[in-house]
Amino acid sequence: MAQVRQLTIPINRVEGDLEVRLRVEHGTVVDAWSCGTLYRGFEKIMVGRQALDGLVITPRICGICSTAHLTAAALALDAIAGVEPPPDAVRIRNLTLMAELLQNDLRHTFLTFMVDFCNPAYRNLPLYEEAVRRFQPLQGSTVKAVLEVTRRILEIVAIFGGQWPHSSYMVPGGITTVPSQSDLLQCRHLAAHFRRWYEDRVLGCGLERWSEVRSAADLDAWLEEDERHRDGELGFLIRFGRAAGLDQIGRGEDSFLSFGALPIPEDSSVRPADGAGKAALIPAGLRRDGHFLPFDPARVTEHAAWSWAAEYPGGRHPFEGLTEPQTSRKSEKYSWAKAPRYDGRPAETGPLAELVVAGRPLFTDLLERAGANALTRQLARLLRPAELLPVMEVWLNEISTERPCYVPVFEPFHGEGCGLTHGARGALGHWVKIVDNTIRHYQIITPTTWNASPRDSLGVGGPWEQALVGTPMPDPENPIAVGHVIRSFDACLVCTVHTIVG
Amino acid sequence: MFHSMYWLQGGGCGGDTMAWLSLEVPDLTEWFALVGIELLYHPAFFNGTAVEHQRLLARIAAGEQDLDILCLEGSILEGPDGTGLADTFMGEPKKDLFRMLAARARVVFAVGTCACFGGVPLEGGVGATGAQFHRWDRGGFLGADFSAGSGLPVINLAGCPCHPDVLAGALGAYAGGRELALNDYNMPLEWFNVLVHQGCTRNEYHEYRVEEKNFGEKGCLFFHMGCQGPLAYGPCNKYLWNRRSSKTRVGVPCFGCTRPDFPNAHPFFRTRNIEGIPLELPDGVDRAHYLAYKGMAAAAAPERLRKRQTWV
Repeated sequence: MAQVRQLTIPINRVEGDLEVRLRVEHGTVVDAWSCGTLYRGFEKIMVGRQALDGLVITPRICGICSTAHLTAAALALDAIAGVEPPPDAVRIRNLTLMAELLQNDLRHTFLTFMVDFCNPAYRNLPLYEEAVRRFQPLQGSTVKAVLEVTRRILEIVAIFGGQWPHSSYMVPGGITTVPSQSDLLQCRHLAAHFRRWYEDRVLGCGLERWSEVRSAADLDAWLEEDERHRDGELGFLIRFGRAAGLDQIGRGEDSFLSFGALPIPEDSSVRPADGAGKAALIPAGLRRDGHFLPFDPARVTEHAAWSWAAEYPGGRHPFEGLTEPQTSRKSEKYSWAKAPRYDGRPAETGPLAELVVAGRPLFTDLLERAGANALTRQLARLLRPAELLPVMEVWLNEISTERPCYVPVFEPFHGEGCGLTHGARGALGHWVKIVDNTIRHYQIITPTTWNASPRDSLGVGGPWEQALVGTPMPDPENPIAVGHVIRSFDACLVCTVHTIVG
Repeated sequence: MFHSMYWLQGGGCGGDTMAWLSLEVPDLTEWFALVGIELLYHPAFFNGTAVEHQRLLARIAAGEQDLDILCLEGSILEGPDGTGLADTFMGEPKKDLFRMLAARARVVFAVGTCACFGGVPLEGGVGATGAQFHRWDRGGFLGADFSAGSGLPVINLAGCPCHPDVLAGALGAYAGGRELALNDYNMPLEWFNVLVHQGCTRNEYHEYRVEEKNFGEKGCLFFHMGCQGPLAYGPCNKYLWNRRSSKTRVGVPCFGCTRPDFPNAHPFFRTRNIEGIPLELPDGVDRAHYLAYKGMAAAAAPERLRKRQTWV
């Protein structure tokens, strides 16, 4: 029987289309190639359209992070117009984006990631039957509860933005909405409802108790402390994840990137934890090889050496991105996705990157002990709501119905600007050039483009290509651990592979 | 009666599925039980292995597994350059997979405007088209003469995304053996004979031509802001989104996302007009009479509306 085999497997329960090509020796992955298999040509769609059209078109890049794309598109236009939206408009933009993140963090964890715990490969684990009871698609008890709580929190987006997904209510200069007292009251109720559910079912304790967990040792002590902690979804994830070895797979490159997101209005009582840098709830920065570096947007480039796109030497900054789709499959190219690099090296992004760049002690400690792994990535995702919920309550209380949410801005737009923010999967950027109100250049780098990156012009693989190396794969027909590693990045391929034409 | 269902995602954003997850009365799990649909495969929910999925496809292809309902989400991508390589499954163009499934299915639904008419990727250089329409023209990928096993054409459930109540209602009707009357674009009249304008909370502004000229002014968005509510068919202001609101209710113009030409070539947020009169008037109105009526209505507009002191 051959000990070395190469195979391609499609990964479902990711957003969009993904296949990974694997080289497997003696039941272990020794090399991996990440193939984005869908290309829709968004930049080509944008070029030649009028300045505001990105507010309608780009949310349609992704059904799950349309508010993030709208945010990036609006920020780029704010920059080009040289306008600062009023503080309440900033709050409301943030609140809708935060609601979208909450939605994603629960739906991904329970409808996508933990569904794998129902895989027959785990039928001998003591927690298996309980996993099936909770996470069986469209039937599990947790699945039903998550559908309810996530659609409730999305009502916040609908109240301010008219609908979710695919709203276009953010415009340069602010938002179109004029919120009412009823709107604000209902949003406060929806946020409180979510928090109660999260504390009761996910944490098994209040956010105050949870905030005392500041190290790996604290986490173990918290788990031992109370049956409710062990029985909650977070405790279940930790217990099952450890039993299934999720903390042993998916290490990847030690490089974590945040563009920064959720700007804090000057008149807000919310203050960033460290008080440094541009005031944003999700601070910008890079943590590489254990060291923190400030984020410099000029250091972002994209390579196309292994992408189905015309090649150029090295990498290009997204303002200078230039490529044409290439359809020949005769070369060694293997993905529609390009390869973004920061300072010439790959970087992973997402909730774990946000939390370590923000210096959250629990995640800094977990990384220093064992490096990144599939379980830690998912823990970060499931714990991001704990960061967001208290701030949502504050911002909802700070909004006035008497102050404007829009500063008039008039066409024509002219100039270049970028909108940097975070979507559910991490760092998102739109780089836009407009001449006489006509879009001449529109380049988008999505979070999954970073994580799902193919090799770059130096042949260095992207984050999850590296993270897959060493993953055990005893049964090629049921590559469960490979799925865990990929899904721990919350793969969103519809977002990834539109960014070919610049 | 239709039971088994396969959901294929083509060149799309997944937004129709995301909207569907927010179905509320009934919720998604209750809906499946209520209408008796068995989901063979949906990329967001399937929990089998890739090998099991391939075996399922082989059984459907061989006629060993019944396929009652096929849903397509996203456009069919035939490009670039006719290769179909812009969207592949295991190295093969996904359009070929769709053709195989459509030939086996008893009824085919195009879910969302991309699947119906080509939609968002139409100008992406990827050969995007709809299942049985290309923009306004019958044909699309499967051709004008296509009919599924039950004799029905592709049922178009337009919208970007498709409203979850439309999707749940239409699939539920066919699953229960009820056929729906369709318009010229094979969209069920139940949801697509009503304009987005109907039920808009800004109707009184429209009535008296109290116009919004910039964002947040609380007027009618039709005359300057590019609103297509009086031109686009869909239940956005009848069933609301997320059971809460709609674009027009929060001051965002309707972009006509159920129309076969969405996204239209002319700029959004701007009404094409000749000397202040919109080029496209509310669907079907007589131009001369409409203009006379709007002129008189504007003159009759009450002070309380002109001063825009109400909340919309």
